[in-house]
Amino acid sequence: MAQVFDRSSNALARASLVLTGLIVIALGVALNSLQRSPWVTKQGQRPDQPVPFSHKHHVEGLGLQCQYCHVSVEKSSYAGIPPTKTCMNCHSQIWTDAQLLEPVRHSWATGESINWIRVHDLPDYVYFNHEIHVNKGIGCASCHGRVDEMPLMYQQNTLQMEWCLNCHRNPGVNLRPASEIYNMAWAGPSSDKPVWCTTTGKGGPTAQGVSCVTKDPNNSNPEVAQVEAPKVGASGQSQVVSDAPAMTAMSPAVSYQRFTSQADLGHFLMDKYHIRTANELSSCEVCHR
Amino acid sequence: MKELVGTTHMGTEPTMAEGKQAQVITTIAPAKMTLAEVRAKLEGKTGKRFWKNLDELSDSPQFQELMQEEFPRQAGAGEWVDSVSRRGFLKVMGASFALAGLAGCTKQPDEPIFPYVKQPEDLILGKPMYFATAHPFPTGAVPVLVKSDAFRPIKIEGNPEHPMSKGKSDAYTQATLLDLYDPDRSVQPKFRGEPAQWGQFQQEFAKAVAGTKTGEGVYFLSETITSPTLAAQWKQVAAKYPQAKLVQYDAVNGDHARAASKAAYGDYLDVQYKLEEADVILALDADFLGGIAFPGFLPISAAYAERHRFEAGKTMNRLYVVETMPTVTGYKADHRLALKPSEIEAFSAALAGGGSTLSNPDAQKFLTAVLDDLKKSGGKAVVVVGPQSPASAHAAAHALNASLGAVGKTVVYTESIAPIPSEQGADLKSLVADMYNGKVQWLVLLGVNPLYNAPSDLEFTTAFNKVPVTVHLGSHVDETGFYSTWHINKSHYLESWSDARAYDGTISIVQPMIDPLYGGKSAHDVLQALLDPSVSAYDAVVANAKTYITGDFPTGWKKALHDGWVAGTAFSPKLAGVPKTAPITTSAPTAGAIEISFRPDPSIYDGRYGNNGWLQELPKQVTNIAWDNAALMSMDLMAKLGIEENEAIELNLNGRKVITPVLMTPGHPDDAVTVHLGFGRRVEAGRVGAGVGFDAYSLRTSDAPLSAAGLTVARGKGTYDLCVTKVHNIEHRGSYAQRDLEHPLSDKEGTYSLAGHEAMERSIIRYATVAEATANPKYASEGASGTWVNKVGYNPQGEAPEHGDSFFPDSWRYDHTAVVGAGQKVLQNSWGMSVDLNSCIGCNACIVSCYAENNIPVVGREQVKIGRNMQWLRIDTYFEGDLHAPKAHFQPMMCQHCENAGCEQVCPVGATVHTPEGLNTMVYNRCVGTRYCSNNCMYKVRRFNFLLYSDFDTESLKFMRNPDVSVRSRGVMEKCSYCIQRIEAVKIEADKNNRAIADGEIVTACQQACPTDAIIFGNINDPNSRIAKKKAEEREYQVLADLNFRPRTTYTAGVINPNPELA
Repeated sequence: MAQVFDRSSNALARASLVLTGLIVIALGVALNSLQRSPWVTKQGQRPDQPVPFSHKHHVEGLGLQCQYCHVSVEKSSYAGIPPTKTCMNCHSQIWTDAQLLEPVRHSWATGESINWIRVHDLPDYVYFNHEIHVNKGIGCASCHGRVDEMPLMYQQNTLQMEWCLNCHRNPGVNLRPASEIYNMAWAGPSSDKPVWCTTTGKGGPTAQGVSCVTKDPNNSNPEVAQVEAPKVGASGQSQVVSDAPAMTAMSPAVSYQRFTSQADLGHFLMDKYHIRTANELSSCEVCHR
Repeated sequence: MKELVGTTHMGTEPTMAEGKQAQVITTIAPAKMTLAEVRAKLEGKTGKRFWKNLDELSDSPQFQELMQEEFPRQAGAGEWVDSVSRRGFLKVMGASFALAGLAGCTKQPDEPIFPYVKQPEDLILGKPMYFATAHPFPTGAVPVLVKSDAFRPIKIEGNPEHPMSKGKSDAYTQATLLDLYDPDRSVQPKFRGEPAQWGQFQQEFAKAVAGTKTGEGVYFLSETITSPTLAAQWKQVAAKYPQAKLVQYDAVNGDHARAASKAAYGDYLDVQYKLEEADVILALDADFLGGIAFPGFLPISAAYAERHRFEAGKTMNRLYVVETMPTVTGYKADHRLALKPSEIEAFSAALAGGGSTLSNPDAQKFLTAVLDDLKKSGGKAVVVVGPQSPASAHAAAHALNASLGAVGKTVVYTESIAPIPSEQGADLKSLVADMYNGKVQWLVLLGVNPLYNAPSDLEFTTAFNKVPVTVHLGSHVDETGFYSTWHINKSHYLESWSDARAYDGTISIVQPMIDPLYGGKSAHDVLQALLDPSVSAYDAVVANAKTYITGDFPTGWKKALHDGWVAGTAFSPKLAGVPKTAPITTSAPTAGAIEISFRPDPSIYDGRYGNNGWLQELPKQVTNIAWDNAALMSMDLMAKLGIEENEAIELNLNGRKVITPVLMTPGHPDDAVTVHLGFGRRVEAGRVGAGVGFDAYSLRTSDAPLSAAGLTVARGKGTYDLCVTKVHNIEHRGSYAQRDLEHPLSDKEGTYSLAGHEAMERSIIRYATVAEATANPKYASEGASGTWVNKVGYNPQGEAPEHGDSFFPDSWRYDHTAVVGAGQKVLQNSWGMSVDLNSCIGCNACIVSCYAENNIPVVGREQVKIGRNMQWLRIDTYFEGDLHAPKAHFQPMMCQHCENAGCEQVCPVGATVHTPEGLNTMVYNRCVGTRYCSNNCMYKVRRFNFLLYSDFDTESLKFMRNPDVSVRSRGVMEKCSYCIQRIEAVKIEADKNNRAIADGEIVTACQQACPTDAIIFGNINDPNSRIAKKKAEEREYQVLADLNFRPRTTYTAGVINPNPELA
C-alpha cells in the first residue's frame, strides 16, 4: 500500500505544532486585550442619554460648581444624581421650550424620573465611597477626567481593579490639597508653578488641617488655591458648607513649605491627611464585603 | 369549610434515592439508641462530661461514621437532594456551563439611574437614617430604632436611649422586619374573596352599625390592646354604641397572672421584677430569659446578667428554676428542678405553705433549700412567675414575695400596661356563646386568627359560621381571613401610626417608616370608621397624645417622636397592700398519668410568626429544632412508652388527637409531654408557614390552656425525620481523640470516648463555682494549678504556644504602628471580640439580628436537615452530666477570625484573606466554591451556598436588603465578617475627621441585639478599650487554643453559684 502521507506532511505536522502554540498565545493575548478594551470597560463611550446633557457647557461655560448637582459627594458614598428639581431651578426660567429638554419637563410634570444611563458603573460587589476620597485629597478629575471639557459624559478611565489599585498602592501621586478637589485643571506643583502649604493646627475634618496656596504667601496679598470664590477660605470643605474663618491662618507667622513636585506634595499630604498605608488601602475589605 | 382537626404531614417526606442512583443522604438525624444503651455507656463514668446530643453521649458507631464525613450532608451524590442525578444534570447543563464561563468575562449591561424628581430635603442618599418607633407586642412594646435606607426600613435595633430597654432587642422584634416585606402579605381588602375597596367597607360598616342605634350585635375580637389611643378610641365607640362589645383574645395570654393579681389585690395589676436587687431568684415555670413572651424580658434579663457577672466586690445572684419544659432559664439556673405541671402546683402550694411536705423527696429537698435561701437573703429575693405559670404559682408568688419583704424592692406592682385588662379566656367563651345564640351580627376581628388558635372545645368555626358578617383585619389572608366576609389588609407597625406601652409603662409613639406598601389599614382606622372617618390614625394618635404629653404639645410631640418615648409616662409603683391569701387549690397528680403542657414556641410564639422564614429556620432554644415542632419528653417516658426518637406517635387528649414526632429533651420531667403551639398552620399561612409541624391548638381546651392531664399516647404512626441542627457542626475529630488514646494522660477516671472528649478535655467549655473561682482565679487558663475544675491542660498543648515557642513569633502580631506619611506613627486597629459565657442566655436575638444585617438567606427545611442552614452565628448548647437533670452551657459560635487561620492557608484563589487589622475576610467575588476553607475550619462556622439560596427575584425582599452587604449567589462560601460594613462605615467617618475610632463606636449586629451585653467588640490594640481590658482578664480563654489558630474571638469562662446544700 502506498504511503498515505507524503514526506511534506512532516513539515506540515511540525508547522501545525508551532501554529497551535501560536494560536494559544494569540488567544491569550486577544482575551487579555479584549478584557481591557473599551468594549468591555466602556471607557470613552457615550451612552444615549434621554437628555444630551453637557458638562462642558454647565461647568466650563456657566461655572456651575460640581456640588450644585452632586450634592452628597462630601457626605456620602454616593455623589448623587440631581433630581429633576435641580434642572428646573434654571430651566423653568431659561430654555423653557427647548426640544432637548422635553424629557426634563415631562419628568417635572408627571413626577416620573428621568431615565439616565449610568456612565461610571462599578460591579455590585465593589463598595466605592465618594466621601472619603474627596475628603482625603482625591480630586474629581483624578478619576472622572476633565469633565468640564466633556460635551457628553463618558468614562475617562477603565475603572478596573488594577486601575484602582494603582492609586491605592501609591496614593501620593494623586493627592492634592483638599481645597483643589473641584479644580478640574489642577496639574500638581511644578518648578514653574510651585505650591505653598502649611498646617493650620486645626482639628476637625481633614482638609481644615492644611492650607495651601498657589502664590508665594510671603508676598503680600496671597491668593488661595481655589478655582472659584477664592475669597472664602482655606477650608477644603466646599464653599457651600464651609464655616471656616476667612484666612486667619494666613498671618505671616505661619511658615509655608514650598513644593515643586507632586512627589513631595503627595508625601506631605499623605502625612497631614493621615492617609492609611498602602498595605491597608489595598486590603480586600476596603472595597469588597 | 375545611376540617379543622389537626393536620400533620407525616410520611410525606420524599424518598430521595431512586433506582440505581447513588444513595443520597438527606438527613443526619441522630442514630437510634435505647435507654439501656445510654445507661450502659454512662455506667461507671465520672467527672464532668459534656455532650450536645444523645448520640454524642452514647458515642455510637453510627455517630462515629457520621463524623467521618466532614460534611455528612455531602455524602453520596453530593449536593443534589432532588432526584436528578449529578451526571444527568451535567449532561443537560454542560453547554450552559460552557457559556456561563465565557459570560463571566463579558461586559456589564447598562444600568439605569432613576433620580428623584424632588429629593426630600434631609435625605443624603447612601447614608442611612434612624427613626424611633416601637414594636407593639402583647406583653409590652419593644422600643426600637429603625435603620432606614432611602426610607426603606432595613434593620431594626433597640433604642439605646429608652429607659427600659437601653438599646437591647430580641429575636421577634428583629424578625418583624421580614414580616414587613413578606411577599405573602395581603395586598388589598376583600369582600367574599373578591377584591374590594376600603372605602366601600368603611361606608357599609358605619351604615350597618349606625342602623343598630345602640351597637347591639356588633362585637370586636381584638388581640391584646396595648395602645392607649386604641383604648381611647374604643371608649368613644362604646360611648356612641353602648351595646357594642369588645373582647380581647390572644392564644398565649396572661390570664393566670391577671386573675391571680385580682384575687390577691382586688385589681388587675402588673408585676415588675427588679432583679438588680435580687440575690436569690426562684422562677416558677417562668421563662424570663427566653424572650419577650415573658413581660419585661429586656430589663429583667439585663438585670439578671448584670448580677450574674463574677466581679470583685459584687455578690453573684443565685437562680433556682422549677419548670416542666426545659427552657434557657432553666439551663442558666444554678439549680433546676424538673416537675410535671401538677407537681409544680403542689410545689407552689407547699412553698406558700411554708415548706409543707411533698411526696417527691428531691422536690422536698429542693424546696427546703430554696425557702432557706430566700429567707436568708433579707428581702433581696424574689419569686418570679410569668404568663405560663399556673394560677397556684402566681398565688404562691404573691404570698411569698410579700412575706419575704420583696415587695417594693425586687417586686413592684403597677397598673396593667394593657389599658383594658381582661380575662381573655373567659371573655372568648362568652363571645362564642353569643355567637351560637345568634346575638352576633357583626364580628370584627382585629389582628386575631381564632379559626386557627381558638381553644378546640369552643368549636369556634361552627360559631363563626353563624355570624352573618365577619370582618377580618389581618396582615395575611390567613385561616380566619380566608373565611371572613370582609378581609381588610392590615398595615405593619412599621407602616402605621399608633402608640404602645412598654413593660415599665413608658409610652412610645409608633410612627410609620414607610408608606403602607399595600395601602393597609390599622385597628385605629377600623374603629374610626364608626366615629369620624375623616380622622386618620395619625390624628387619633395626636389627639390622644395630648392627654399624656405634658408641656408645650408641638415640642413634646416632636421630642416623643425623636426620642421614641414620652418622658414621665412610666408607671409609678402601686402600694398593693397585703395580698389576700386564699388556700391554694391544686389538682392532685395521679401517679403515672401523663400530663401535657402547652407552651408558645420559642421561635414563632403563638404562630403569628409562622410565615417568617428567619424565625422558622432559627434553631429553637433548648431543642435546636428548626422548621418543626415535636412532642418533647424525657428518655424515661420514651422507654416507658417504648418509643424512639423521630417516631411518629398519636397524642390523644380526651378524644382530641394529633400525630406528632417525638424528640428526647434532656431535663424534661417524666410522665409529661410538652408541645409547642403555633405550628400546623394551614395553607393560608403563606409559603413559609403552611404545613410546618403539627397543630397543638387542636388539643388545647379553654379550661386547660397551660397544661392538662389524661394524655394517652399511641404508637405506630410511622416515622418522621425531625429537622434538628444540633449535630451539624461537629467536626471530624477522630484524629485528636486518637492522640489522646495513645497518650493516656493524667485523668484516668475521665472518659476517653470521642463524645466526652471535646468539651471537657479540650476545654471548649470552662467554668467553675464561685468558691473555686475565688480560690483559683486562673482556673480558666493554662498554668494554673490546684483546684482545676475542668482539667485544663490535660492536653499536652492545652493552650496556644507561647511567644518563644513559636517558629514565627511575630507573624501574628497586630500591634504594629502604621507609619503614615512622614514618620507619624499610629497604632493600628486590631479588632477582637469577647463573649461572656456567664451572660449569654441563649435567647437567639443575635442570630436574627445577624440575618437582617448580613442579608442571610433562608434555605428551607430540606436544606437545613442536611446541614446547609446559613446562619453565620449559632449558639452551641453543651449538656453536662445526668440525663434527667443536665447542666447546660451556651456558647455562641461564629467565625473566630483566627490570626493564623486554617481557611486562609488552603484557599486556592485567595478568596479568604487576612486584613491588616486582623480580620479574616471573605472576598465573595473571588470565591470559586472549593469548600477547602470549610474543611479546614475547626469551628465549623463557614456556610456554603450549595444552591441559589438568596432570593433575587421577589420584589418586596429586595427592599429589605442591607445595601452595604453583597447578596451572595450560588457556589460562594460565607461567614461572619465581624460586620465589616459597620467597621468600614465608622472608619470612614473617623478618617474624615482625622481622629481615632472611639471605643464602642463600632457595634456589631449581634452585640447590638444582645439583651445581656454578653458580646463585646473593639480594638484590642487600645489598652483602654473595653475589649482590651476584657481580654486581659484571667477568665478569658480561646476555644481549641492548642491548635494555634489564634482566634480573635475569645470567651469568658463561666462561674456558677450553686447552693452548697443542694450540691
